[in-house]
This record gives sequence, C-alpha cells and structure tokens, in this order.
Amino acid sequence: MIDSILLVDDEDLFHLVFEDACSLLDISLSLNALNSSDEAAKLFQKWFQSGNDNDKPECVFVDLNIIGSSFDGIELIRKINFEYGNHVVVGIISSSNEPEEQAKAVQAGAQFWIIKSDDIEPRLEEFRKDYEGYKNRTLPFKVYK
Amino acid sequence: MIKLDKNSENNLIKLFESKTIGLEGNIIKLIESDNDLFKDYLKKCTDKDKDSRRKRLEITKKIQIQNSELSNLNEQNQKMMEDLQSTLKEAEEQKVKIEAQNGELIDWREENEKIQQELQKEMIKSETARIRAEEAKTNAINDLDILQKKNQTELISTIVRVALYIIVGVGIVTTGVYVFTLVMGKDTQVISAAWSNIFGILLTNAFSIVGTIMGIKYATENKQ
Repeated sequence: MIDSILLVDDEDLFHLVFEDACSLLDISLSLNALNSSDEAAKLFQKWFQSGNDNDKPECVFVDLNIIGSSFDGIELIRKINFEYGNHVVVGIISSSNEPEEQAKAVQAGAQFWIIKSDDIEPRLEEFRKDYEGYKNRTLPFKVYK
Repeated sequence: MIKLDKNSENNLIKLFESKTIGLEGNIIKLIESDNDLFKDYLKKCTDKDKDSRRKRLEITKKIQIQNSELSNLNEQNQKMMEDLQSTLKEAEEQKVKIEAQNGELIDWREENEKIQQELQKEMIKSETARIRAEEAKTNAINDLDILQKKNQTELISTIVRVALYIIVGVGIVTTGVYVFTLVMGKDTQVISAAWSNIFGILLTNAFSIVGTIMGIKYATENKQ
C-alpha cells in the first residue's frame, strides 16, 4: 500500500472519485489533492529547499492540462524530477491518449500514464500491482488504458 | 499500526451498537487488536465505510458523466452560437450590400425621374411644335383651298363672262338680223321663229349656266 499520494488535478469532482477509488482498492492510506501545478511546484520547492520532507508524498499523480495553472502537468513532472530532487513515483493521469504527449512525459521523467475514464478502478488496480516496480525504478514507462 | 486499550475498544463497540456510530476512513486500516469483538467491530466499520465510499463513488461518477454531457452540450451550444453569429454577420453584410444597392437604385430612380421630367418637357415641346405644324399645315391647306377657290371662281367668272358674252353676242346678232329683216320689210316668218327659238335657247342656257355655277358654289361651301 502506498503511504501517501498527491493528486494534482483542476477537477474537484475527480478528487472525490480518486480518493474513494484509492480507498476502496486499498491503494493508499493518505491522499492529498491540489488544484494547480503552481501550488504543487511550491510544495516541492519547499521540501527541496528545507530538506524536511517528512510530509512529502510517496507517489504523485498529475493531470496533463491543469486549468488555472501557469504550466501543464508535464512541466510539473519535469520540475519535480530535475529541479526539486525527485524521490517520488510520478506520472500522468489524464483523459488524453496522445502518443506525442506521452513521449514528452517520458522525456520529463514520468513513470506511468493512466487514462482517465468512468471506469478507472481496473487501471488503478493494475497500477497498484506494478507500484513496487516504479518505486524500485525497475519498470519502464507504461500506459494504463 | 495503532493499538487501543481495552476500555476504549469497549466504548467504541458500545457506541456502534447503541447509535451505529463507528470509525470511518483510512484510520481503520491503521488500527489493530487482539480482541475478537473489536476485530469484528473494525470489520463492520470497514464494510460500512466501503459501502458509503462505493455509494459516493457511484454518485460522483454519475455527476462526472452528467458534467461531461453538460460540457459537451455547452460546447455544441457554443458552436451553434458561433454558427448563428456567423450567419448573423453574413446577413448583416448582405443587408449592407442590399442597402448600398437600394441607394444605387434610389439614385438611379431619381435620375430616371429627372430624365422622365425632361422627356415630358421635350414631349410637350414636341407636341406644341406638332400642333403648330398642324396649324401651319391647316393654314397652308386653307390658303391653298382659298387659292384654288379663287382660281375656280376666276375660271367660273371667265367662263360665265365668255358664255354671257356669247349669249349676249348671239342674242344681239340674232336680234340685229331680225331687226334688219323687219326694217327691210322682208318675210320675218322664219327669222321670227328662229329668233324666238334662239332667244329661248340662249335664255335657258344662260339660266342653266348660272344655276350650275350656283350649285357648284353651294356644294363646295357645304363640303368645307
């Protein structure tokens, strides 16, 4: 089970769906949700600069297009990986399935891509099984369709 | 993991039994116990929590689907609005074009009316000229007629004069011969009969000529 998850998504309703799905599937104990990539970047910057990352999440799910943010999910992943010291499992959760965007995400250091849909539980279930591989950095980038 | 003391466990179980109020959320996953009763309590709480989460998940998913449908409808509406605005813009452009054409038509009509007025003026002038020409023609015809009549009258008067001269001449000659015969004492039986006959014929012819002339004159006057 993942200790803590951070979800960065502009859709409040999806926060509820994701939280309930994660709880029902016993994916995580704690879930924190943010509406903008700016807020998330600030948090990671704070953890990186202070060196105190006790409350840092273990895994981060980022939406691709975050309305109201100054940069998109791929840029946030790039910042997390290359500016704020990484040490988290990070990937995209989006309704988009564009190979070009997925290639960009891989370059930014995303480890997975989960496609959002009405029936998200089977994909989260599959992700849960693969999670240890992402944590150990042994699994390659994967798209959950 | 968290372990509660026995008293707390019992209190929680009692609370659940009396008011069905139990622990909720992921905290349940962090509590462990050796007490079978409390384990059963935790299982009940977990099941209850999962039930409520499942229900909430279903509802939120439905709302998500409805939101998505509404969003699609909104997009369709926006597209329709854009189409409508585009059509409206086209209609306005057409209206401007039609107004410009109307303006041109109005100018053309005004010009046409001016030309019509000028034409009417010219027609009036032409009509006046025609009337004048006709009057001139009538005058010329009248003059010609008068001239013809004058000629005719002159001819008739000449004819009449010549005829009268002849009649008078013949009368004088016949009367002279008769008078001569009388004076000479010759037999006047034949000459008197001839004189009276010739005189009668001459008179008749004279009156006939006068009558014919009067008739022609009368008929000519009536025709006019």
